Amino acid sequence: MIKKSLTKLAIAATLATAGTAAFADCGDVQIAEMNWASAELMANVDKIILENGYGCNVELVPGATMTSFASMNEKGQPDVAPELWINAVRDPLNAAMDEGRLHSTNAGPITQLGEGWWVTPAFQAAHPELDTVVKILERPDLFPDAEDSSKGAFIGCPAGWGCQLANANLFRAFDMEAKGWTLVDPGSAAGLDGSIAKAGDRGENWFGYYWSPTAMVGKYGLIPIDFGVPFAGTDNWDGCIVKPEQDCADPQASAWTVSEVHTIITDSLKNKGGIAVDYLEARTYPGPIMNAMLVYMGEEQAGGEDAAIEFLMQHEDLWSSWVSADAAAKIKAGL
Amino acid sequence: MSLIDWNKLTITEPPVLPRELLRNFKKGIDGAFRDFSRSYGEALENFFNPLLMFLKWFQDLLVSTPWPIILLIIGGLSWIGSRSWKMSLGAVLAFVAIGWMDMWEDTMATLAIVSVATLLCIAIGIPIGIWMSRSDRAQRIITPVLDVMQTIPSFVYLIPVVMLLGIGKVPGLLAVMIYASPPIIRLTNLGIRLVDAEVLEAADAFGSNYRQKLFQVQIPLALPNIFAGVNQTIMMSLSMVVIAAMIGVPGLGVPVLRAVSNQYLALGLMNGLAIVAIAIIFDRVSQAYGKRLQKHREGDHGV
Repeated sequence: MIKKSLTKLAIAATLATAGTAAFADCGDVQIAEMNWASAELMANVDKIILENGYGCNVELVPGATMTSFASMNEKGQPDVAPELWINAVRDPLNAAMDEGRLHSTNAGPITQLGEGWWVTPAFQAAHPELDTVVKILERPDLFPDAEDSSKGAFIGCPAGWGCQLANANLFRAFDMEAKGWTLVDPGSAAGLDGSIAKAGDRGENWFGYYWSPTAMVGKYGLIPIDFGVPFAGTDNWDGCIVKPEQDCADPQASAWTVSEVHTIITDSLKNKGGIAVDYLEARTYPGPIMNAMLVYMGEEQAGGEDAAIEFLMQHEDLWSSWVSADAAAKIKAGL
Repeated sequence: MSLIDWNKLTITEPPVLPRELLRNFKKGIDGAFRDFSRSYGEALENFFNPLLMFLKWFQDLLVSTPWPIILLIIGGLSWIGSRSWKMSLGAVLAFVAIGWMDMWEDTMATLAIVSVATLLCIAIGIPIGIWMSRSDRAQRIITPVLDVMQTIPSFVYLIPVVMLLGIGKVPGLLAVMIYASPPIIRLTNLGIRLVDAEVLEAADAFGSNYRQKLFQVQIPLALPNIFAGVNQTIMMSLSMVVIAAMIGVPGLGVPVLRAVSNQYLALGLMNGLAIVAIAIIFDRVSQAYGKRLQKHREGDHGV
């Protein structure tokens, strides 16, 4: 009897040690929680999954693109930047990746992400055949400008934003003035959002510049429009489209440049993380789900943690494909 | 359901609505506004369409008028207002400088919206001011409304206005008018109420009827005050130029916004100073005009 229970105990102890050994692999992990909604959500989801599923000890570190990247690059802390927009830090990041100090686990943690030209769902429902920018540009009559209904209104980017130059140059590149369009300056983010809200609420046509992931895209179901022309090269984009008009004499029609977002981790996490790194490679949020979560965060005024719990509750089929079955069960139990 | 979240209530935290209830309250307002916008937004837009066409026409007119003619008009109006050649010359020089610094078109757009806003404020404000001066009850009701209009942050009403009417000149004009009309209403009311009771007695003694008393005694005597109101209305509508630019109103506010978001010191300063120059011209000319009205009154009564 005693012997039997001793054997049991020994087995249990072995199992337990094996278990802790697997957990100890992960250890302390710092995750950068960037100061915008989608990054807050991702950081908090990573925290819950890594803690409950993989036994890591996660600490969230508030940050922003430049500051978090600089810290990861110089000090090797925090260990994870879940949503790092590459364009701002491309050169130093490439250098760090060449030296093996930083690694990208996922070159697209959110799909359908980036800037571009969008329409309201009411427009797409009424005119499914107009599915590229080139085709829409033939129909300015579908988007009458309030001040001059003979022209089509294209809502550009607010004055002073970087995208204002790109939109103005693409407006010229697509020869939109001759096609009967006028480029409307919405004045501010509030003006841009307001014009979408007005059209979206009333089921009107709207055609303009926006970006994803955003709550506006989720709330009003904005649909990105394929440009109908390929990306015309970085020389055209970086050397002309993003420059002031006087420095861009001959802009070429082009699709919008691709915004690159990566999940970046430090070398030390890559070495010690084990299967936790597999999770960071596998997790990819479909754009519509991310946008819907941002709408939820806006409407419920939910912080990253509340939103992460909501996400894990609502989208189990999605996140369970990112983790092992064993981890999925533990995470589910933890909720 | 309790109207107070008892769990949160402590000695340092005041009673607060339960979160759920508060959220439903906010959602209810948003939903009601959205329904209103869906049902009446288009009708409202059509209602304001003539105003939009007029604004666009007026701005196009100012932009397409040859600059020497604009300078002549500016100089001429300054002369009519102030009867001072120094003032007229200063005004013309200021506009020459504005053109020289390549801000002409934006300045014309700003002039268009500010002058239309001012005229509409006067057209609406003076009758309301007169009504307030006739009726104590009207004064009791309108005064708090004016207080709200002057103090509520403009961003609060920009969003609903944009959701109803879209972006552009009309919502911008409404935003300017909400902020700029209270002074003319207040000062019209005040001016008429300040007219001496003895003067009114004299008018009664001469057998004036109500209409004669109002139009031939009270309003003329209140003109200096009314003019101070016009002056304030112009100043306040100019100060709204940058806010209006945030909802797509063209003009000097647009480069200011661009300067703010890109730290373009010179651009912001130049366009800001152009607004100041217009403001000073309008202010000095209208004040000089108001003073002449005052002089006329002094002559009459030998005060």
